[in-house]
Amino acid sequence: MTDDDQVFKALADPTRRYLLDRLFEHDGRTLTELESELEMTRFGVMKHLRVLEDAHLVVTRRSGREKLHYLNPVPIRLIHDRWIDKYTEHRVAALADLKTELEETA
Amino acid sequence: MTTMTAQATQVYQLFIKATPEAIWDAITKPEFTIRYYHGARVENTPERHRGYGPNGEVWGDSPTLEYDPPHRLVHAWQSLYSPELAEEPESRVSWEIEPQEGGYCLLTVTHDQLDGSPKTAESVSGPGWMMVLSGLKTLLETGDVLDPDRA
Repeated sequence: MTDDDQVFKALADPTRRYLLDRLFEHDGRTLTELESELEMTRFGVMKHLRVLEDAHLVVTRRSGREKLHYLNPVPIRLIHDRWIDKYTEHRVAALADLKTELEETA
Repeated sequence: MTTMTAQATQVYQLFIKATPEAIWDAITKPEFTIRYYHGARVENTPERHRGYGPNGEVWGDSPTLEYDPPHRLVHAWQSLYSPELAEEPESRVSWEIEPQEGGYCLLTVTHDQLDGSPKTAESVSGPGWMMVLSGLKTLLETGDVLDPDRA
């Protein structure tokens, strides 16, 4: 349920990344607004939004008769903390060690 | 990267492996908030939402709008920690705690009514709330403080 898998799966598609970028620029959009930016059927856009919602990357709120879509940045942040930070730290550390070693033997 | 104008409605949602009661306590009691909330002692009562800095300076003092433990807390927000932000009108923060299967809760934090407060919106957006929420998650799930330098 809190699975990173769902987030990675949701991100592994250019249309869904495009939708996230549109929401990043301007949040709280309706399906109609999002649809107008894509060469795709309404049903297709709905399907992609559904995958994003299931991964909690998009959260919807009702405002009167409209359903507004908001970008939820937390899952990406958590993946960043869990995966990206860890490996970049390691790489930086490895390079630092290499530098020390080369300089010592030089 | 595209530049971003901070949004007038911001939604943050995350799963936390904890009971609704534990989450409620962690967001309403200063002995918990000091460990993840940018070092602030935040106290939420049915009447007020108050926040204090390390030396007792007032960082927040706004009315509580809804108080329904351990499900829903809504309070007004004014960033008294910065003179520039404090001039902007009050906005609103809602905390919703929804129990899920497997001992998890879904916590949704909505900071809205920021239309007249663009500087506040900018200041709390992205890393601002995310530091608080990922710190809250870490505290509840592991008992650790995410960023000891800030706490």
